[in-house]
Amino acid sequence: MDLQYSEADREFRARAREWLKANVPAQSRPANGTPGALYDRDWQRKLYDNGWAGVAWPKEYGGLGLSGLQQVIWYEELARAHAPHHINTTYVALMHAGPTLIACGTEAQKTFHLPRILSGEALWCQGFSEPNAGSDLAAIKTRGVIDGDHIVVTGAKMWTTDAQYADYQELLIRTDPDSQRHKGLTWVICDMKAPGIDIRPIRTMLQDEHVNTVFYDEVRIPLTNVVGEVGGGWSTAMATLSFERGLGFIGDQLELYERVCRAIDLAEKVTLEDGRRAIEDDGIAQRLAAIKADTIAIRSMTLADIAETDRTGMPGPKGSMMKLMVTTTHKALGEVVGEILGWDFLEFNGDRTAHPWTYEYLWSWVFSISGGTNEIQREITADRVLGLPKAR
Amino acid sequence: MYLAPEGHEIEIANAAADFLADAMPIDRLRTANSADMNAALRQQFGEMGWFALAVPESKGGSGLSAVEHVLFFREVGRQCGPVDVLAQGLAANAVAEAGLRQEIIAGTQGVALLAPDGDSYRLIGNPDVGLALLVTPDRAQLFSLAQIRAKERPALDPANSMGVLGILPAPVTTLDSSLIWRLGQLGIAAMLVGIAEASLDLIVDYAKVRETFGRKIGSWQAVRHPCADMAVRAEASRAQLWYAAAAIKEGRSDADVHLDAAKHLANQAALMNADANIQLHGGIGVTDEHNAHLLLKHAMLLSRLFGTKRGLLCKLLNARLED
Repeated sequence: MDLQYSEADREFRARAREWLKANVPAQSRPANGTPGALYDRDWQRKLYDNGWAGVAWPKEYGGLGLSGLQQVIWYEELARAHAPHHINTTYVALMHAGPTLIACGTEAQKTFHLPRILSGEALWCQGFSEPNAGSDLAAIKTRGVIDGDHIVVTGAKMWTTDAQYADYQELLIRTDPDSQRHKGLTWVICDMKAPGIDIRPIRTMLQDEHVNTVFYDEVRIPLTNVVGEVGGGWSTAMATLSFERGLGFIGDQLELYERVCRAIDLAEKVTLEDGRRAIEDDGIAQRLAAIKADTIAIRSMTLADIAETDRTGMPGPKGSMMKLMVTTTHKALGEVVGEILGWDFLEFNGDRTAHPWTYEYLWSWVFSISGGTNEIQREITADRVLGLPKAR
Repeated sequence: MYLAPEGHEIEIANAAADFLADAMPIDRLRTANSADMNAALRQQFGEMGWFALAVPESKGGSGLSAVEHVLFFREVGRQCGPVDVLAQGLAANAVAEAGLRQEIIAGTQGVALLAPDGDSYRLIGNPDVGLALLVTPDRAQLFSLAQIRAKERPALDPANSMGVLGILPAPVTTLDSSLIWRLGQLGIAAMLVGIAEASLDLIVDYAKVRETFGRKIGSWQAVRHPCADMAVRAEASRAQLWYAAAAIKEGRSDADVHLDAAKHLANQAALMNADANIQLHGGIGVTDEHNAHLLLKHAMLLSRLFGTKRGLLCKLLNARLED
């Protein structure tokens, strides 16, 4: 057990810090819409041109092949440099689709898609959940009928983040109409410009339109776009999700500490209705300090998890425990800041930069529901960490 | 950077677990007069060198670090080990005089722990020992109990006796250093992490065999989900304990911040997991014959030593981590 960084890790940090200092864009990201997606692509292109794209990808596929620890260093340096947030419209392509293609894709799929993902040329979205299949993913119904050398897709996907900006989609469909549950599913690459696709935004409680329902009316997808086997989509999908629950949220985990420090600074300045500063209220001070301790422990959990991941080479089920810890801490912080800010917390027009605390509070539900609800994370923990008898 | 036990650290943790399961199993607390550490048990620990893990080799110890120290005390916690074990180990690190130090390391001289309580002191541990240790963040003092006797108080926690002392004699020895406090806070935090883990283990084992409504209770989400939350608390407190121990070992400037966070996380994890363990056991969980209450009561004692919730959070509010 030690906290020492190796010579190579220190050198990597210094190099990353120096490059980011000189290259982080001066302008911040336009909050939403196409300008935001363009900004994300430009930043990804810059990373790619300078050899910083694909930190978690193997070197043979154009990535940096960093160890888990070096990925932590990279995200720490991104945060320090106030670089564009890595969870943006490039996220699904880089964190899900690329790693899935590397693990399960054909040579032709890899050759075509991987460079486009790394360079920011192609954005991806996810097509797993449906109106009647979210937590219970194996209940999906979107149909794929094989017709010659194509699959013809009809149905609907839901909660598709950034579908309106995406070039491709990781689409999970039922290709065997007689199949039940995990069998008879297929994971295909769907071209979002294909005829028959209709994207309708879903307005959320954050007053934004980052998620969508996507309808498919006899959309023709070449069979060469199948990733893994026809009928073997469940195992490809599980590979996809393991990347998401692996190291994908490190950046957020590390930023929570900075955010609680800002909340403490806020409590030093804000006056409560009784005339005291918020920090002088024992309840507020204790909760802020407890959340701060939790954020310190979250970084330690990340490092302990990485010690395990780097040893076994596989992201383990502890990612679910991490998500539970991070999402509950995130929400607790939103609640206490709400008390500190009083009436000001209720001012909100959907603008993330104008009302960041309220936005983050509302976001806490997105965080604890998307990518596997906290209830599902508890199920995974009960099954795979604790080995409890199956609930279903 | 490697935040998990490795190599000889794992061997020491395993050796400690084996020794303690045999010499000081939690089941001992179901028999009469099992509180504290008696002279025979103390000498058994002494022969194994457990009190001198962190004492430098030049002073007759094993010369190991804060990391091995927490690995040992986590196992002590899992067995609901008395505070005496820690007091003895801390005294071995605090005493400069070689003869007395050797007696403490060997376990021929016993040490109990003093905790300030307003104008007086609580004596935690075997009241028949000759010495008592008082630790503050920058000082450790050892007092002789030869001329005084603590007024015995009924102890909630079966693992430790509790007494009250009004006035202390002049100290036998004083060490002006933060070392003992840090080892004490680490040791107690480690014991609490052990309790958080032991609570989780008890309910997980039970949930795999106990049936209600024709199913194992571990298949009901009303049981599974609180168990998952217990696992998260155990994991978080353990990871922060590792970080704090390594930070102390390496002399990082923010080691005390990590230590305070570790103690706070450990307090919370032990108390909440011990609570959930009793609740999820149902009726059997509130019986005297079941070990569940032992974990809760010991956690209540340990959470008051070397950093209470209020004190820790006060310090953490404005503490800064090293950049």
